[in-house]
Amino acid sequence: MNERATESIDHHLISEFKAGSMEAMEKIVERYEDRIFTFGLKMCGHLQDAEDIAQETFLNAFKYLKDFREETKLKNWLFKIATTACIRKRRKKKCEPNHEISLDSFFPQNGDHPTYDIPDVSDDPSDSMLRAELKNIIDAAIHSLSHKYRLVFNLRDIEGFSTEETADILGISTQSVKTRLHRARLYLRERISNAYKEGIVQ
Amino acid sequence: MREDCRKDFERLSEYLDGELDDAVCREIERHFHQCPECRECVDSMRKTIQLCKEAAIEEIPAVAKERLRAMLRGCLARNHHLS
Repeated sequence: MNERATESIDHHLISEFKAGSMEAMEKIVERYEDRIFTFGLKMCGHLQDAEDIAQETFLNAFKYLKDFREETKLKNWLFKIATTACIRKRRKKKCEPNHEISLDSFFPQNGDHPTYDIPDVSDDPSDSMLRAELKNIIDAAIHSLSHKYRLVFNLRDIEGFSTEETADILGISTQSVKTRLHRARLYLRERISNAYKEGIVQ
Repeated sequence: MREDCRKDFERLSEYLDGELDDAVCREIERHFHQCPECRECVDSMRKTIQLCKEAAIEEIPAVAKERLRAMLRGCLARNHHLS
């Protein structure tokens, strides 16, 4: 479905909801619950946390939807609420990774050029075990990112928001989005490559 | 050449995301053509992003979705928001 059609359906459902339709509420949930759950899961790592994020997101969304003027897309607005929920959830946890990522640490020093073993995932169904193991490695690598990098990486590379949309959702500059995304990607490449080299995936 | 490597290393993501001018992209590609290390660097970065995207799909249990809906129905009905 193209973007314009999506926005048109969302607009219709928002109007219906404002007019008191419970069915419109159900349809909005149906359209976005998978993405919000997945985002919560990618941010927090546990299904229970993802459920809390999804519940808080939709509850707040429907609480304020009557005042929503559609100056932004419904999807972006929902992710803004979900991001706030993730940040609140994080404040309650104490052992979240919280490290800065330095660009210099990934730039080859002394003329050495490291090689990165990033596996190709084939479409062969017999690779399902490899896929599952790789998924575990990738998920663990994403979760080991500090919160601010994880937010940007998930919004940009996993959810597919543009640099500008991500900046708007997070309330930061586009330059900060680009900087954090680049560092997150460099970090993930190293983590995934190291795990692969260490033979976690055979 | 090291200076070029450093410059392109810093803007690798912007290059991959198509956020640079055509002229800058051509300049970077000329460098990649001459520098196998940087070519390897951009290829592994591209593969990393693709791999993460492919691994992103999650199966959300139906029971979790049903709990979400039940909670929303209950809260909205209690708030008399809907008729």
